[in-house]
Amino acid sequence: MKYTVIHVPDGEDEVIVRYSELSPEVEQVLSVLRGQQPRLLGSREGEQVMIAPGDILYIECVDSKSFACTAEDVFRLEHTMTQLEQILCDINFFRCSRSMIINIDKVESLRSLSSNRIDATMLGGEHIIISRRYASEFRKLLRGGRDYE
Amino acid sequence: MNKQKRPLWKRLLVEEIGIEFKACLYFFCILFYYSMYRLIGGSSVADILHMAEMILLTYAMGYAQFYLMHNFDEAEKLGGKEIFFLIICTALYTAASYIAGWFDKNLAVTAGFFFYIAFVYVCAFLIYKFKRNAEGKILNEDLKAFKERRKNR
Repeated sequence: MKYTVIHVPDGEDEVIVRYSELSPEVEQVLSVLRGQQPRLLGSREGEQVMIAPGDILYIECVDSKSFACTAEDVFRLEHTMTQLEQILCDINFFRCSRSMIINIDKVESLRSLSSNRIDATMLGGEHIIISRRYASEFRKLLRGGRDYE
Repeated sequence: MNKQKRPLWKRLLVEEIGIEFKACLYFFCILFYYSMYRLIGGSSVADILHMAEMILLTYAMGYAQFYLMHNFDEAEKLGGKEIFFLIICTALYTAASYIAGWFDKNLAVTAGFFFYIAFVYVCAFLIYKFKRNAEGKILNEDLKAFKERRKNR
């Protein structure tokens, strides 16, 4: 997508979006301008779709590819896990292992496991293990003490 | 998100504390049996050398349990693998007690020690299980409170 940035010495800041077709990229720009939650660009069977983070149960990385699992579907995401961490850092998402990010809003219940790990049962019934390395941070987050907040 | 990684030395320290805690737990259980044996035998004196052997053994067993036996006393359920490790550890403690002469090589007392240690392992397993259940309840309360806080933002 082509974009132009023009500095004006005075007057109101203005953004004009010109598009021929409301593509996922354009939608992403618009959602940022509208102050909405960032939407993620994903694909399913070759078709590009915008995914609302609130619909995602968890994001999993398999063979360096990221997949978002919702209650009904699995979407391939264009972003890396690091990028996803940055995009979703202000929403209720938590990196629970090297290859997984969970949506805390979609966690139904938690169970303490041996070796300080946590078993998170998602709304769909899936069990996701929060590894020992991330469990302390997760406990801290639930108690309202996230480091970056 | 959670950018800070726990440094290696910190992780090793946490593991070390866990092993030492377990060594102390089992040491006190063994010491209790040993003290009862001594008291019943009419002696109120414990051999320092025996105590040193006990703590060194429990410490070594703590390492073996952690690195070789998947911390079986903290397992989710007491399955075949866990029972196998439990018997191995119990047998090792019993053999050490016999070789070191903690119970004056008395076979009946040594056999009693075998069952006692097995019982201690089962108790430790149950204690860890209860502890995890209690932690689970707290976690779910924290999760509920977290969701409420976010909703009210």
